[in-house]
Amino acid sequence: MTMIDQRPDRAGVAPARRRVTPPGGRLHTTPPWWFAAPAMVLFAFVVLLPSARGVYYAFTDWDGLNPVYSLVGLDNFTAMVRDPDAVQAIWHTLLIAVAITIIQNGLGLVLALGVNSTIKSRNVLRVFLFAPAVVTPIVTAYLWRNLLGPDGAVNSLLGAVGLASWQQDWLGDPGLALWSIVGVIVWQFAGYSMVIFLAGLQSVPKEIYEAADIDGAGPVRRFWSVIRPLLAPAFTINLMLSIIGGIKLFDQVYALTGGGPGHATDTLSTLIYKDAFTLGEFGYSIALAVVLTIIVAIASTGQYVVLSRNERAAS
Amino acid sequence: MRTSRLAAAAAILTAGSLLAACSGGTNAGSGTTDTQVLTLASVDQGSIEDVIEAFKKANPGVDVRFTTSGADQYQQQIRTQLSSGTAPDVMSVWPGNGNPGATYVLAQPGYLLDLSDQAWAAKLPPAIKSVAQYEDKTYTAIFGQNGIGAVYNQDALDKSGLTPPGTWTELLSFCKAAAAKGTPAFALGNQDNWVTQIVLYALVATTVFGPDREFASKMEAGQATFADSPWTTAMDKYLQMEKTGCFQKNPLGTSYEASQTLAATGKTLGIIQGNWVVALLKGKNPAGKFTLKALPATDNPSEFLMPAAAGAGYGVNAKAKNKDLALKFVNFVMSPEGMNLFVKKQGGLPSLPDTGYTADPSLAELSTYITDNKTVPFMDQLWPNPKVQQTMLSGLQEIFSNQSTPDKVLKAMDTDYKAGS
Repeated sequence: MTMIDQRPDRAGVAPARRRVTPPGGRLHTTPPWWFAAPAMVLFAFVVLLPSARGVYYAFTDWDGLNPVYSLVGLDNFTAMVRDPDAVQAIWHTLLIAVAITIIQNGLGLVLALGVNSTIKSRNVLRVFLFAPAVVTPIVTAYLWRNLLGPDGAVNSLLGAVGLASWQQDWLGDPGLALWSIVGVIVWQFAGYSMVIFLAGLQSVPKEIYEAADIDGAGPVRRFWSVIRPLLAPAFTINLMLSIIGGIKLFDQVYALTGGGPGHATDTLSTLIYKDAFTLGEFGYSIALAVVLTIIVAIASTGQYVVLSRNERAAS
Repeated sequence: MRTSRLAAAAAILTAGSLLAACSGGTNAGSGTTDTQVLTLASVDQGSIEDVIEAFKKANPGVDVRFTTSGADQYQQQIRTQLSSGTAPDVMSVWPGNGNPGATYVLAQPGYLLDLSDQAWAAKLPPAIKSVAQYEDKTYTAIFGQNGIGAVYNQDALDKSGLTPPGTWTELLSFCKAAAAKGTPAFALGNQDNWVTQIVLYALVATTVFGPDREFASKMEAGQATFADSPWTTAMDKYLQMEKTGCFQKNPLGTSYEASQTLAATGKTLGIIQGNWVVALLKGKNPAGKFTLKALPATDNPSEFLMPAAAGAGYGVNAKAKNKDLALKFVNFVMSPEGMNLFVKKQGGLPSLPDTGYTADPSLAELSTYITDNKTVPFMDQLWPNPKVQQTMLSGLQEIFSNQSTPDKVLKAMDTDYKAGS
């Protein structure tokens, strides 16, 4: 088997990509586009067409049940602007997405730098830190719902170590509940970000660290000028995943607070669910879903453009 | 080139066979329709299983394919199935209006079969008939009824040396005394927003419907509102109970599940809930003794009313593949055998009189209130749309967390009520 060396050479110029010649003698080129056709056909039928049909209902007053409905133009979208619950939900969605993106990735990076060291227990630590990410979010959310209850383990622990004044109504206080949700998500997925950063860190050649050491760079300088640029692809993946995950967050919010108390933790996704399935306002909830899709598209595209520009600048 | 064409043909064949496989899955059931197979979707997990077994025993050779799920999931599922023509023959349907799986909501577009000519339909008591019907036709076979009140844990009461209060003033003293002993009077799980309404309903029954049994009709006729009625008194009393320490600390952070544990294990003296909670409390504390009593809302016990209403029942799909068998099942549920089996398992009371059912002693007071016609339906069952209730539920959470006031919430409920169906 012929290996392709894609690492930059010492002069910083990547070697020209060589074609691989298998024993059969035929050349491997890029596979023909129609290899993707079966998958594309399925995707079109299962995802694209139903989604497009779904968007149509955003312009109707359909209640999800009655076969008779009428077109209402942009009424659902104008109603959204006047609906304080929807405006509040959009704000909560953005707040949670930004908070998760910053805190989860910040913590993930610190953990990755920690377990990338030569300490003896690093493998055990890696497993422990990543473990929460492999559990279904709804399960961890129900677990935390109990832990964060007024008589739950968190308050009991605080009481046991003499910090009774720190005990809080974590999920029942409207000022705290949103941050408790952020905390639970960060707890679960910081290890996931860590793994992606760790993969990036481990692909940095040792020679580069050695060169930085020889040039007299301290730990901060080494991180900022050497590690950070080389981690640019890991940043792109992590930030994209967490911002998209944060914007469309549903399971954890629904299980932890159900959007309450009142509407204090409602996100666009929980509001879409309630409007559709509790209130039977399908047309309106699909309009909300269209707005959610647009927000995800704008946020992820914008972020991708900026981050890939950074990647190019760093390489 | 030949290879490419072959590969393209293979790709198309693969896609074609995949699509064929998908469509085959949908049709697979229709070819094997058997007159002896009934399809059923239910929310009565834990009790429907026994009823199905008894039905199968009474009708040898009959098979029942059924699914059970929680109310939220069920309502989402049944609406999709009905609108796409894939709903089962028999399905759970809620009484009245006000939720996405309610009689009015499903009967209005013509999804339910008219059951008016079934023998039991004429025997339903008026209060239950009104919520089983849509435009004077009966669509829902309601087999049981439930009530709301204060459920006391007898062991905890004995330990505290207190006795259940008989008047509103006694209730407040009871709460103060219980709180002083470190065992709050009632557990309240307001984190689950549907729970927030239960105490309010218990208070509204006496304060609103006590002086005026026709209040719901007046609302419907536009002659009364929430904000300018004794609903404000009920709200104030709810908050007064909270301020007096009737409930444990942080009800908004306490789930329904956690509140059951508090009441079952004697960390509170009781819980204000529906009779369905008795079975759940016994599940958590099998040795415990629990009794349901009316919640005092005034100082005159003769004025007390209890909220008691029809529980979810069963409707027949207007397009049922096996209508005869579906009717047979619904009639079995409404027979003394089926009905008693159902309510015994659920811990409720039968909807029809004379079924020979002996109520659990814990429900004796509720049973008397029903017999004496001292009950009012759950307030939401005749509201014109589900939004009124949702506004109330989130509003109550907001009041408990100082984000809103009773007046604001009642006015918002009036706005939603006036928006109609």
